Amino acid sequence: MGQIFPKKIDLIIRGALLVAGLGAAATAGGMLFLHHPKRIEPGYQPTQPIPYSHKLHAGNLGLDCLYCHTTVDKSSYAAIPSTQTCMNCHSKVKGQSVVLEPVRKSFELDQPIPWVKIHRLPDYVYFNHSAHVNSGVSCVSCHGRVDQMVEVKQVQPLTMAWCLDCHRNAAPNLRPAELVTKLDWKPESDPAEIGKQIMATKKINPPTNCSGCHR
Amino acid sequence: MIQIQGIGNQTGKKFWRSLDELSNSPKFQNWVAQEFPEGAADVMDGKSRRKFLQVMAASMGLAGLTACRRPVEKILPYAKSVEGVVMGNSLHFATAMPFNGGAQGLVVESFDGRPIKIEGNTNHPESRGAAGTLAQASVLNLYDPDRSKEVLADGKPSTWDSFSKVAATLPADGEGVRVLSTLVNSPTLAGLRGQLASKMPKAKWVEYEAFTDDTLIEGSQIAFGDALRPQFDFKKANVVVALDFDFLELENRSLGWVKDFSARRKPAPVAAPASHHGAAADAHHAAPAAEAHHGAPAATEHAAAPPAAGEATPGMNRLYAIESNFTLTGVMADNRLRLKPSDVQNFVFDLARALGAITGLQILGQQDRWIKALAKDLQANRGKSIVLAGSRQPAVVHAVVALINQTLGNAGETVTYTKDVRRPVAALKELAGELNSGGVKALVILGGNPVYDAPVDLAFGDAVKKAPLSIHLGPEVNETGVIAKWHLPESHYLEAWGDVASNDGSISIVQPLIEPLFATKSAIEIVGFLLAGKWPKGFELVKAQSKLDEAGWRKALHDGLLAGTAGASVKGAADKTKVEAAVNNAPKTGGRIEVQFFPSHNLWDGRFANNAWLQEAPDPMSKLVWDNAAVMSPKTAKELQVEIIPDDVGMYAQKIIVEIGGQKVEAPVYVLPGHADNTVTLMCGYGRKEIGRVGRGIGYNAFAVRPSTGLGFASANITKAPGTYYMVSTQEHHSQEGRPIVQEAPLAKYEKEPHFAKEEEEHVELFSLFQEHDYSKGNQWGMAIDLNACTGCNSCLIACQSENNIPVVGKEQVGKGREMHWIRLDRYFTGDEEDPQAVYQPMACQQCENAPCESVCPVAATVHSPEGLNDMAYNRCVGTRYCANNCPYKVRRFNYLNFHKDMDELTKMVQNPDVTVRMRGVMEKCNYCVQRIQEAKIKAKAEGRASGAAGPYKVGEFMTACQQTCAADAIVFGNINDPESKVSQLKKDHRNYALLHELNVKPRTTYLAKLRNPNPELA
Repeated sequence: MGQIFPKKIDLIIRGALLVAGLGAAATAGGMLFLHHPKRIEPGYQPTQPIPYSHKLHAGNLGLDCLYCHTTVDKSSYAAIPSTQTCMNCHSKVKGQSVVLEPVRKSFELDQPIPWVKIHRLPDYVYFNHSAHVNSGVSCVSCHGRVDQMVEVKQVQPLTMAWCLDCHRNAAPNLRPAELVTKLDWKPESDPAEIGKQIMATKKINPPTNCSGCHR
Repeated sequence: MIQIQGIGNQTGKKFWRSLDELSNSPKFQNWVAQEFPEGAADVMDGKSRRKFLQVMAASMGLAGLTACRRPVEKILPYAKSVEGVVMGNSLHFATAMPFNGGAQGLVVESFDGRPIKIEGNTNHPESRGAAGTLAQASVLNLYDPDRSKEVLADGKPSTWDSFSKVAATLPADGEGVRVLSTLVNSPTLAGLRGQLASKMPKAKWVEYEAFTDDTLIEGSQIAFGDALRPQFDFKKANVVVALDFDFLELENRSLGWVKDFSARRKPAPVAAPASHHGAAADAHHAAPAAEAHHGAPAATEHAAAPPAAGEATPGMNRLYAIESNFTLTGVMADNRLRLKPSDVQNFVFDLARALGAITGLQILGQQDRWIKALAKDLQANRGKSIVLAGSRQPAVVHAVVALINQTLGNAGETVTYTKDVRRPVAALKELAGELNSGGVKALVILGGNPVYDAPVDLAFGDAVKKAPLSIHLGPEVNETGVIAKWHLPESHYLEAWGDVASNDGSISIVQPLIEPLFATKSAIEIVGFLLAGKWPKGFELVKAQSKLDEAGWRKALHDGLLAGTAGASVKGAADKTKVEAAVNNAPKTGGRIEVQFFPSHNLWDGRFANNAWLQEAPDPMSKLVWDNAAVMSPKTAKELQVEIIPDDVGMYAQKIIVEIGGQKVEAPVYVLPGHADNTVTLMCGYGRKEIGRVGRGIGYNAFAVRPSTGLGFASANITKAPGTYYMVSTQEHHSQEGRPIVQEAPLAKYEKEPHFAKEEEEHVELFSLFQEHDYSKGNQWGMAIDLNACTGCNSCLIACQSENNIPVVGKEQVGKGREMHWIRLDRYFTGDEEDPQAVYQPMACQQCENAPCESVCPVAATVHSPEGLNDMAYNRCVGTRYCANNCPYKVRRFNYLNFHKDMDELTKMVQNPDVTVRMRGVMEKCNYCVQRIQEAKIKAKAEGRASGAAGPYKVGEFMTACQQTCAADAIVFGNINDPESKVSQLKKDHRNYALLHELNVKPRTTYLAKLRNPNPELA
């Protein structure tokens, strides 16, 4: 009886295995590369229950970030405002708007508006807004030019490496604390020099050890 | 394998944790020799490999699914803002926990509207910032999924409306109406009771709890002719004599007692340390000349020892304990005498005679030496001593004690009296009689569980069944709830308004932190309804009772206390002739073997039986978890042939049958060195049948033999029962294998050689192979633990569990050495097997500067912070457990299983959001409450407080959870770089020593050596 398979089948199989292996490695590598938070996290832009425009409110009308996000300098959270905050104006302005119907309903029924969270950190990361804002890290450093966004999207990767880049070299990202919500602020001199001075006066020493963020 | 040396090889004082360790039995050698306890490496209990593969396959599948899409998370802000709420910041409210006729003043942390952490209220005279184990763990009861949630009629779900209709049919004049409540110490409830008495003149109100100190009050009635409660001032007492009275723990009615007592455990500063040693490590201590040379630093060192600089310190007190069980007071005692409970009475009589308080001959000849020495010491400290007796002792003992204190001039000095009322068990007996004779039409039981914990001879359960209408208000459908026709769910004290008077009479408002989670009501609302026929609001009842204006009310809520409500002290004169008559008429009690009844450290009278934190907290003495035992001395166990059979993991206890007056109960035996012979201590509160999932079938029920004639102790018949019972005790877990880590000396030795503890350390100069970090700048966190103050009460353990989301693992897992507590209290015996002394050593991560755990972690999941913390990054840990193996202190804990997995949604509300919830395969350990450190730092930053070398945070601004709750102030944490901080001063104390100093790991936690101040005449 002759051989069922020709001799070169061995080579073919080896070749095929090699190709398959390389293919798998390339796929995995590609996935890892493409799925790196740096690439997939920025740009996340979910649809919100109400088409609230930061560009209109914060950009055109010039509302300060702190008008709504009141606890950003007091707490770890930068509180999403209560419906009551919306109604401060919208009981008078655009009181009949169809778009604002869910807001009025929320206020009447005392039911929260289910906003979709955009900037997310893992549960084991304890980021504190007040620590950063009071030190002079502007909103823009992490959230981008929200005052130019009709619908907010994530612009930074929010990875640990990204956090540490700043914690290791914070000076260029610091400004006087009263200017943190001025998203279009441009330093007149070298930002690193300004930051250095702030770090010296406030004795800022950004932690780079584990328990700085993980507890 | 390294040969484990028995403790006999060690020089100096010998410390041992169990009888097995003392004898270095093969079982003990086996336990410590194993890298992990047997079975510790099992991935899953009793599950096959197939199951493992299934689980793995399923989790792979899930991993694939979840990776596809980013889960959408919602943010739900308030629709209408709430005043004062800053999301993400916690709020603190003052309230109080009513407990056993007293109260603990508390401050409760609320996060997002959920109460999550209970601490003591610094303003409250009976808490002074501390909180006990029960109060701290009570927050878990609020979120107990097995709580009673609805009204039950004959066991079937009903409504409050249906109940209202039934309650409206109660006879208007109260004919046949009986109310049975727990001890009434709420002014509002007392007021309503008064109103009920005038509205329903024929109704009767009875109070009952299983553990009261009515004998104390009864004794004062004999001595003074008036119901008075003694109040103690331990600050002034040089000599304290505790007669069968665990005033530091189980019979503690005020944590202020512990505070004051432990303040007097500090030795007077030793002016010139005359240590010949000191040469290498403490050269500047050696001679006064050298000290003068150093000038200022030497002065600060001396300022460290007294409680307050510049103030004359009264020095260390002396505690005598005369007791049967080995209690925490006995552990603290400088001189301890083991006596049968009934012999305590004769001892007190003899002492009174020796002091000339009463006349007559002495009877207990063999204790002559003790009586003489004690009488001499008391005479020498007239007006500066306290004699006090426990509630298990009969009234006559308390009458004699009152007379002794008067004779010694202590009355009015260290002992004062306030008005109180009697709550005799006879009232419950009478009620049972009325029930049995059919004289009761309606029985309203407000709280408590009398069917379970009433004296067994009353057969209270059968009596309740005879009432045509029985109503039970309780937080759980317990033994009483299932028998009563109606069961009403009771609100937790954290969700209902109330008020309460503490031991000294100070009134606190019980302020709720949350709306009732279920349709529950409080006792005052029930009584209010019986009065008015419509449902009142608890808030209005309490506010009306307080008679405060708005400003006063707000202040009372804020302070947690109504200022100036402490009871006025009453000047009583003890009548010698009446006391002598009582002594002469005192019945001869006792038998060959006596059984005494203790409330359990963890479950009290059983009301905390469904609390998993408490079930898993090791009993302070036996270190048993999830069980109670019949405790007896080694000698008695030998006589009864019921010695413990050790096993690889845990131990098999032999069983006994305890028989008192025809009632029997079977109980496993725990052999406790130091227990009085021919005495058996039964811990009550276990063996609950009608209870939630946690407490069901745990332990045996000691109430099943407790007679109304022997609520404290009774003579009993003990026989050996066949079979054994598997018990788990943590006493040998994390063994130090005889290394000298506890340092103890008599006060006299300390005065001669103040550095005795340091001298036990290795003194060769130590070098590190690694380049050492510079820890001289900024905040450097450290801790000092005073072994002399620690009572071993477990409060720190519960505080840590609550603060750090520490899981409960269950009896089986603890048996494998997998308990998760970050802080443990090692209990060491020293001395004779039958009559040892004991020492507690709180042990948590020592935050070594040269941490051995860090150098072996392959993934750098545990590394050092610049502030000297041994950080633990859970998300980086891969679970090799190398770190735990390399830790000389055995303080690292591994999540063998996903212990949080089955946590009920309701119970999850108790979790601290500031601390990561760890999952399976992750190592964890104490981190000095790093979340509190960070919070304080961020707060300092936000407030713009400048930081500097001494640290940006004011000393005492924040504390670790264990430090905060310690009533004895044994744990001090802070910045060791700040010369002003208490911890840096304590570290300069002569008694300060580092554990296993010779390893050069440089622990940040150090200990102050234990001292005892025994009477030289009793040596």
